[in-house]
Formats: sequence, C-alpha cells, structure tokens
Amino acid sequence: MEVKNTSKVKLVASGIIPFAFLVIMIAYIFGPGSDLIDLGVSLPEITIEKVEFLDSEIVVTVRNTGPMAVDVVMADVNDRIHPAAIEPDKHLERFETAVVRIPFLWNVAEPYLIGITTDDGTRFEKEVEAAAPSLEPNLELAGFFAIIGTYVGIIPVMIGLLWLPFIRRISKSKYHFFLALTAGLLLFLGIDATEEALEVSQDTLADSFNGVLLVATVVLLSFLALYYAGERLVQNSSLGRMTKPVAVALMVSIGIGLHNFGEGLAIGAAIGLGQVALSTFLIVGFAIHNTTEGIAIASPLAKGKQMIRLLAGLGILAGAPAIFGAWVGGFVYSPFTAIIFLSIGAGAIFQVIVILIRWLQDEGDKKLSSTAVVSGLAIGMLVMYLTSILI
Amino acid sequence: MLTVIVAAVSISLLYFVFPELTEAQTEKTFVTHSGAIIKTTGDIIDPVYLPQTVEFDPQKYLREFSYGHISTLDDGRTLREFTIIAEDDKIMEISPGVFYNVWTFNGTVPGPTIRATEGDLVRIHFINNGKRSHTMHFHGIHQANMDGVFESVGPGGKFTYEWDAIPVGVHPYHCHVMPLEEHIAHGLYGVYIVDPKEGRPKADEMVMVLNGFDTDFDTENNFYAANSIPFYYQHHPIQINTNELVRIYVVNMLEFDPINNFHLHGNLYYYYPTGTDTVPFTFTDMITLSQSERGIMEFEYTYPGKYLFHAHKVEFSEKGWVGIFLAKNSDDKVE
Repeated sequence: MEVKNTSKVKLVASGIIPFAFLVIMIAYIFGPGSDLIDLGVSLPEITIEKVEFLDSEIVVTVRNTGPMAVDVVMADVNDRIHPAAIEPDKHLERFETAVVRIPFLWNVAEPYLIGITTDDGTRFEKEVEAAAPSLEPNLELAGFFAIIGTYVGIIPVMIGLLWLPFIRRISKSKYHFFLALTAGLLLFLGIDATEEALEVSQDTLADSFNGVLLVATVVLLSFLALYYAGERLVQNSSLGRMTKPVAVALMVSIGIGLHNFGEGLAIGAAIGLGQVALSTFLIVGFAIHNTTEGIAIASPLAKGKQMIRLLAGLGILAGAPAIFGAWVGGFVYSPFTAIIFLSIGAGAIFQVIVILIRWLQDEGDKKLSSTAVVSGLAIGMLVMYLTSILI
Repeated sequence: MLTVIVAAVSISLLYFVFPELTEAQTEKTFVTHSGAIIKTTGDIIDPVYLPQTVEFDPQKYLREFSYGHISTLDDGRTLREFTIIAEDDKIMEISPGVFYNVWTFNGTVPGPTIRATEGDLVRIHFINNGKRSHTMHFHGIHQANMDGVFESVGPGGKFTYEWDAIPVGVHPYHCHVMPLEEHIAHGLYGVYIVDPKEGRPKADEMVMVLNGFDTDFDTENNFYAANSIPFYYQHHPIQINTNELVRIYVVNMLEFDPINNFHLHGNLYYYYPTGTDTVPFTFTDMITLSQSERGIMEFEYTYPGKYLFHAHKVEFSEKGWVGIFLAKNSDDKVE
C-alpha cells in the first residue's frame, strides 16, 4: 500500500516538474527587471475588420491586432481627413475592438478607401469596392434570405434525391460507382470549403490570428469529433433502429448541411456587401451545384428500405442550413465566424469521405481500384468542377 | 456555495442590463464638414478642433523674425550673428494625438526665420546636438566652403558659416546631409530673408512655410500644412486689418509631392518670385510652387470677414494645408 502511494507521488511529481521549470523560465523572461528579450522594434497594428454604410455615416470596426496598446487618432475617407467619433473610446488594448463613426454622405456603388491613423502616425487602410447600405435585420429581409436559402439549399437537394429510384435499380458495381461518385463530390466540396476558409482568412483576418493554422486546427478538430461520434453511431446502428446505410446517409447530410451553411454565408455576405449581381450568380450556381448533393445522400440509401419522411428529413438537414447561413452572412457577418463554420464544414466532409471509402472496402472492393470506384471518384470531382464554374 | 454563485451571477447580470449604472456615460458632440452635429458616447477624433499640446506655436512663428546679435564691423558694415542648434530626437504632437520624431533647428519645425539686410555680414554658429551628422545649407550667394554640403558636422560638432547677405529675396535653408529627403522630411529647414537696403513698404509681414509630414514613411505625406500644424490657421484664424498691406514670405518645403500651390479667397495678390525683384511678376490668386520655390505675396483686403487660403490641390487642403484670414475693419487705425 505504502509502496503504491510513493509511486503515485513520483508519477505526479514527474509530471509536474517539467511544467514547473517552464513556469520559472517564462517568469524569468517576462518577469520584472528582465531585459532579456528587449530586442527589436515592435510596431503597432490595427485591422479594419468591417466597413458599414449607414445613413450618411460610415461605420468602421477596428481591432488592435498588434503587440501593444494603441490610440486611434484620426479617420479619413479616400485619403481626406474627416472628423469622426470612436466608441467606446480611442484607446485600444491588444485585441480590443472599437467602432469608428465617420459622418460622410457616401454614394451608392462608388468605391471608398477608409483610412485609420494611430498615435504613431501610421495609417491603415481598407478598400471597399462598392458602397451599399448595410442590411438592417428585419422580418422582410429575413424572409427574403429564407427563400433564397430554400432555393439554394433545400430544393436542389430534394431534386437530387429524386435520383434514388434510379440508383436502386442498378447493379452492385454501378452502385459502387455512385458511392464513389458521392465520395468524389464530397472531396471537391471539402477542398472548396478549405480554400474558401483560407481565402477569407487571408483577405480579412488579422495576421495575429494565424489564419492558415486556425483553419487547419478547426478542420482537424471537426473531423476528429465527427469521426468519433460517427464511429459510435455506425457501431450501434445494428442494435438500434438505424441501419448502417441510414447512419452513413445521416452523416453525409450533416456534412453537406455544414457545407451549405458556408454557401449561405457566402450568399448573405455577397448581398450584404452589395454585390448583387454576384449573388444572383451565386444563387443559380449553387442551385445547380447542390443538386449533386442530393445524389450524395441518396446513394448510401439505395439498397435499403425507404421512407419518404426519412428522405425529406435528410434533405432538409442538408439544405436548411443554407438559410441560417444566409442570415448569419447577411446580418452578422464576421470573418472569424465565417472561417470557423467553413472549417467545421470541411472537417465534417472529410470525415464522411473516410466513412464512405471504408464502406466501399467492406463491400468487397478492398483495393479501391475497380473501374466503378476510380471512375466514380474522378467523375464526382469533374462534375463538381464543371458546375462550380457556374458560380 | 450555491448562494455565492447565484449572487455573483445576478450582480454580473445587472451589469449587463444596466451598464449605465456602473459607467458614467457622458455624451460629446462634434461638427462635421457639412455642418451636421454628431453625438457620441465615445471619443472624438478630429484634427481640426481637438486640443493638442502645441510645443510649436504657428501663431507665434508666423510673425517672428530673428535678426541675430547685431554689431558693427570696422568697415561700418553690420554683423549679424546667430546660434543654431540641430537636434534629432524630439517627439512632437504634430496633429492631435499624432506623435512624430521631428528633427529641428533651435527646437522647431520650421527653424527660426533668419533675417538680414542686403550687404550685412551674416555669421551662423552651428552646433549639432543630434545623433546624426547635419549641416546648414543656405540658398543664396556665398563661397563654396560655406555651402554646408561637403563640410558635414558630426554629432557634437560645430561649424561657423559666414557670408555677405546677398541677394535680396526670400530663401530657404536646410540640412544637406544624405539621405537628404530624410533630413528635410523630418523638419530640418527654415526661412532666410534678405531685405533690400532701402527696405520694403510697411506691411503686416508673415512667414509661411508650406510643408508636410510623412508619418508612416511610405513616401507619401500624411499631413500637409502652412507652418507645420495641420488645420491650425483654420482653427485659429490669422487676424489682419482691412486696408492694410499684408506681406507673406512663402516658401515651399514640401517633400514627396512635386508641386504645391497657394490660393487666396476673395482677393488677388501681387507676387514676387524669390523676392529678388521689386516689380511684381503677376497679380493673381493662384501660384504654383515646386520644391524649394518661394516668393513674396502682397495684398490687402477691402471688406472685413473670414477668407480662406489653401492649396487648391484638395488632397493637400483636406489633409491640413488650409487656413483663414480674419480681416477686421481698421477704422480705429491712425492714418
């Protein structure tokens, strides 16, 4: 008993000692009186995160993304100094945000360059391609976004599901083709979502957030979480009411749903930023593109018993997030949340791909080199690429 | 334990529900360019009307001339001696809240306005208290070794410049150490006036150095001004009298931008380029000035009131190079 106790103490101690040394080292470096790392020049940095155009006022959200506190002391529009107000106050601690209100009679659809100057005289600027009144959340607009989300998300997925009777009647190898096709479609969507997240992080996120690593971390965490949950779901499916195909289809739906949330974000943000022509293209493009997602959900279900209600439920699960995405994108867009959602979607999709590939292996195609699987994957990617050109 | 948590949570909830209870909110107002009055609970950031620590007073600089320590030479000529100290470590609030490292002659940008009469002997005792090498290069006619170009004065060093005050006119002086752009952009310049022996007609005389500051070192000016402080004379109009001759010695020391200009409202002025001639070159309300171009402007207002003067390049005026003359009736003036 005593022996056991000492070994436990030793275990805890051996776990804590390196940690204690780390704390001592950090205290030594940063502690009072330490001039060890007083090297180099640190520069203030602020990031203009958002520019909104209200009634005769331009509202700019700034964040201190530098290594030290700064004062925001001046605002300009198109390189012309304007009196402005900053709320709550002009002093920004690290990572603190403030809102700069610049009274300005702006013109719709004209480009504007917004400049913010800090106390050391450094000017940071952000270009807005075309000014458009920022969206005020109201019921009418929420309804409008809901309709767009339905067109983009729910209806195309439902149309895609109508291929189910066709997939049911085909032979096993052709069925494998469709499962591989699904994997191909999803692979494309996963890459697409990752790319989009990286793009947003590059364009709008401050360097201090380490955009690329943020995307990588969230993608992986999302993948692992859903993988863990998915495995449990599939393992238990034989016991419960849920069959394995249904479980897989459910996961496909969740993955696609998260992906469609990202699409909704893109559409809402495009309308919010006043890129109306772009959003029309986005809507048409996404609608065609998303029809293929219906196939992805239908394929795993093809050999089982079908229930209309189940199918409809899966379709809504996959499609409806587009509506929420449009709301978020249009009303409360922030680059940080957009990146998080896009990355979660990518991780979810990669997880579904792994499940599908496993399934194909279990179904007898051990090496994944049959004509059906290879051509399915290839055509899936190709179809997605071709329809994506429409966006 | 539970009660403590509940109490803590409800107190913090109160904070969110009634933030105004815990934080005194005072509303401030400011006026926009178009005259609208805006209210805010935050801070106002406005380079025109916000108070600032003015270590350099443009109002004082405007009419301040340095005639030097005067003595008479054996041959009866006047000797004017000046002591000029260069520094390069001063941080100045050049616009409300904006701090910039200025390099100075006698502590200010521009440096003191050195004034002599044609034919005087001018002697400048130059002391470099900066961390870099500096010189004083005067435009004008002098010997080669008094040109302040090749005789670099190191930190702690001294040099005596000496020459006859010719020709008549308004000239710039500046540091001439490489990289020249850096030394000028940081503020090492000033005005040197040589009056004709017979003098000029009596007038309300002032000096305006058209300059700018590139505070973020992207070779583009962030601020423009007449006499360093952006918008200063807009906030503090220059008071003049109607029917009294106003004479401005204007020197363009702007870096980075190839040209500058000077537009006067409600009036026209006689312009003497470089001030070397006593016959005006033109009668206009608009002159264009290239780097270190300068001249003398003379005008008088008939009607009282506020008159704007500014660069007609709007970018310059909306970044500070704008001011107001407040012309007052000179009825009480004794003729």
